[in-house]
Amino acid sequence: MKRGATISGRPELRTSYRADMALLNSRPKRLGAGVILAAALAAPFLITDALLAIAALACAAAIGAIGLNLVSGYAGQVSLGHAFFIGAGAFTAAALTGDPGESVYGLGLQWIVAVPAAGLVAAVLGFLVSPIASRFRGLYLAIATLGLVFLGEHILDNWRSLTGGAGAGRRGVIAEIGGVRLDQPTEVAGLVLTTSQQLYLLALVLLVVLAVLARNLARSAVGRAFEAIRDRDIAAEVMGVRLGRHKMIAFTLSSFYAGVSGAVYYTVINQINPESFNLLLSVQFIAMVLIGGIATISGSIMGAFFITFLPRITRELPAIVPFLTAEPTLRDGALLTVFQLEAILYGVLIVGFLILEPRGLYGLWVRVRNYWKGWPFTY
Amino acid sequence: MTAVQDPRATELPETATTTLATRVRDWAAREPDGVAMREKHLGVWEEMSWAEYWDAVHTVGHALIALGVEPGDRVAVHAENRREWLISDVAIVAIRAMTVGLYPTNPAPEVHYLLGHSGSTVLIAEDQEQVDKALAVADDLPDLHTIVYLEPRGVRRYDDPRLLSWEQLLSRGRAHREEHPDAVAARMRSATPDDVATLIYTSGTTGPPKGAMLSVRNVEFAIATLIERGGFVDPPPTRSDLVLSYLPLCHVVERVFSVWFNAAAGVQVNFAESIDTVQQNLAEVQPTIVFGVPRIWEKVVAGVEIRATKATPVKRLAYRAGMALARRIGATLVAREGNHTLGTRVQYALGWALLFRPLRDRIGLRKARYAVSGAAPIAPEVLEFFMGIGVPMHEAYGMTENSAIATANRPGRVKLGTVGEPHAGIEVAVDERTGEICTRHPGNFVGYWRDPEATREMLDGQGWLHTGDVGEGVDGTHIRITDRMKDIVITAGGKNLSPSEIENALKASPYVKEAVIIGDGRKYLTALIGIELETVGDWAQRHHIPYTTYRDLTEKPEVVALIQSIVDETNARLAQVEQVKRFRLLPKELDHEDGELTATQKVKRSAIAHQFSDLVEEMYGGKGAAA
Repeated sequence: MKRGATISGRPELRTSYRADMALLNSRPKRLGAGVILAAALAAPFLITDALLAIAALACAAAIGAIGLNLVSGYAGQVSLGHAFFIGAGAFTAAALTGDPGESVYGLGLQWIVAVPAAGLVAAVLGFLVSPIASRFRGLYLAIATLGLVFLGEHILDNWRSLTGGAGAGRRGVIAEIGGVRLDQPTEVAGLVLTTSQQLYLLALVLLVVLAVLARNLARSAVGRAFEAIRDRDIAAEVMGVRLGRHKMIAFTLSSFYAGVSGAVYYTVINQINPESFNLLLSVQFIAMVLIGGIATISGSIMGAFFITFLPRITRELPAIVPFLTAEPTLRDGALLTVFQLEAILYGVLIVGFLILEPRGLYGLWVRVRNYWKGWPFTY
Repeated sequence: MTAVQDPRATELPETATTTLATRVRDWAAREPDGVAMREKHLGVWEEMSWAEYWDAVHTVGHALIALGVEPGDRVAVHAENRREWLISDVAIVAIRAMTVGLYPTNPAPEVHYLLGHSGSTVLIAEDQEQVDKALAVADDLPDLHTIVYLEPRGVRRYDDPRLLSWEQLLSRGRAHREEHPDAVAARMRSATPDDVATLIYTSGTTGPPKGAMLSVRNVEFAIATLIERGGFVDPPPTRSDLVLSYLPLCHVVERVFSVWFNAAAGVQVNFAESIDTVQQNLAEVQPTIVFGVPRIWEKVVAGVEIRATKATPVKRLAYRAGMALARRIGATLVAREGNHTLGTRVQYALGWALLFRPLRDRIGLRKARYAVSGAAPIAPEVLEFFMGIGVPMHEAYGMTENSAIATANRPGRVKLGTVGEPHAGIEVAVDERTGEICTRHPGNFVGYWRDPEATREMLDGQGWLHTGDVGEGVDGTHIRITDRMKDIVITAGGKNLSPSEIENALKASPYVKEAVIIGDGRKYLTALIGIELETVGDWAQRHHIPYTTYRDLTEKPEVVALIQSIVDETNARLAQVEQVKRFRLLPKELDHEDGELTATQKVKRSAIAHQFSDLVEEMYGGKGAAA
């Protein structure tokens, strides 16, 4: 046996820090990640387009949730301003890909250019905000970032040449790569891919790449600095963590993810209204992080999928539950509309998770895993 | 380790005699990059290749020559199991000196005795603790001129001309190697089979420790018998086997399983962090070959039982179902000398999926292909437990004075309650008159260091080694050991009784850690019992009995009642004269430092009887009945 080689069947016998810190440091993890990835790639050919479109939105939302988790979960800087950066990214990408001839800005650029640019514009905004944000902490930071949302909403509502203005909006991001329009069915190697299939795969690839990058960041020195700041900023500073610098990195990175998320989200949905980027959207992302699992990347993804699919699930409920109605108004003796139920569920789930399983869906998974890992003992 | 020379680049010295040193050198030539050993350092199992190992041995050999160590000189090593122990041991053999191992738990007076009696000139001490012990007595030791320390923490600022750090030792070695590149090789060439390779001080439950001299011939015979011919592990160990080194290396068994297995068969040695982390380290390393003393195996069983009672109901159910299977498998295996039947194989497959695989994984024995128990008698129930869950368990017997070569149970011919059959090619006999077990083979030791009288008592004119253990033949092949000859109790009624059998029956309970039977010249037998703090403490907690210290726990009437029930249970299985009529709980945990245990954790009977004589007299004086 050679040195440094993994010793088969002995996952705990780690002979280097590299092996100790590896992302997939055990065979079950490698296997599990492989199976999930394979299932995700096979999904377009197994489920309906309607579900696939929601899955594509969930991928986009997951990118944003990862971004929020970096700044709030890992670095502990509560941000209510996430909607602002998502809006910035969405409109940047829309403007860059839009047709030049229309009433709103449009440069007719490629999608591949527009999405990173959307991330960068949001990142620059995040960078500009960070000096202010890093002077606050806790509740004050939440209030300061809340201000950002209202400020953003006002700007977007009134910047008609960019956003089309309140109530009108503009067309979403056009997915054109090398002359191929992905919002129309395309034939690839004899196989006709529908719009939903293409957009889902596109969003999935971006999510996987960005998730791996975020996970790598989280286990690096920067990630450890984030967690040190979260656990106790004064102690972190004493240890030599530069607070301002790392808070700046957290905000900038988080905003980049939000920008990309907005651009991808509105590639799937082809109409953007400036009033969408309000406090409710921020709260939705916070719900994703809390329900998915604070300070975990996989939790962010789980949370985003859960929250995105929640309306779809509640819409099925009136068939089973008698007093629910799928109509927007109450009639025929119904007690609740699905929209009201949805709002109630958000609240109940957030409170429930905070009390019962603060580590979210990821925590539930850890519980299940540890149950079997501990077999036949409890610990 | 720095500056590794390619072993192929250095010219291999030719030696007539194969020693541990030539074996390590040959591994380095054959498999320079192969893993020789691992040590957990700052959370990671650092690997040492054969080339690095041999390079370090070579350098330390030069360094010792530079320090003036001549053939036949004694060099002492006082450290926990670690890389430097093996490097030092092999380097000492390479330059034809003798290794003297000291137990890390040896207190300063014993260090004084051992260093003085052996006349060691160089001491390799692990850390400040061991250096302090040596410095406290160093002025009375004229022979000791150098103390090498491995861990500089705390020692760095000591101002004593005899002190030398391991790094300084290595740099001296390198300098000497530059100047006299052939010095170590020349020593290795001149080695003879009669060179004494090591002095192993026996723990001495009665008198002061005695240093058994084991020669190169003894070691080589042990390697041939126990390792190459599969005496201890069958099929014989290979490069792909792993062991965990955790028992003191100054004991002959750990030397066999760590140093000799490694040098002879290339077995990868993994050093446990400490004796307290053995459980965790076992689970990490998952060794293929495991040696344990009964105390370790008992502790594993007790730990499993405690954790199982604390598990959730579903898991408890699974555990009970699995253990019911294990008991049936174990009972069948015991009855069939370790051979499976179709029925046990089917049961095993069921149990494997349900319990055995995860259970063995948790206790670190999932990959164990061969387990050995020895160094003290073990309760058959414990062996049966392991056989039931699929760990092939074999009791073996041997002692320092015969290089651990006597008997062992072989796969497929396991008889519980016996220590197995004599190894191939050696003579083992039971003295008809006294029942004493005697061995005769080339592994019989040279003699006791500076103690010809004790040597004559052990080795007779015909080359027989008198082990001092009383035993009998079983079915003409196996041998059963009754007790140490000097421990046999003769009651006032004239009955000869073996205390260790009764003690082991008591110790089979997870609540009993120590049991000392008393009754020599008395009307009936009594016992001093030491409780296991962990399990009894846990039991007390579950029964809502508050306690503060060990002593407080032993004084709880509920605890006394608990032990009474174990004693009653044991008595029910014993003949009238063997029954324990009264007992007392020891008010403290026995300790090496207080002189109650030997360095190998064996109870010093005389010391116990003396120290707790008030308790003993109470049991016979009729002052208060037991419980």
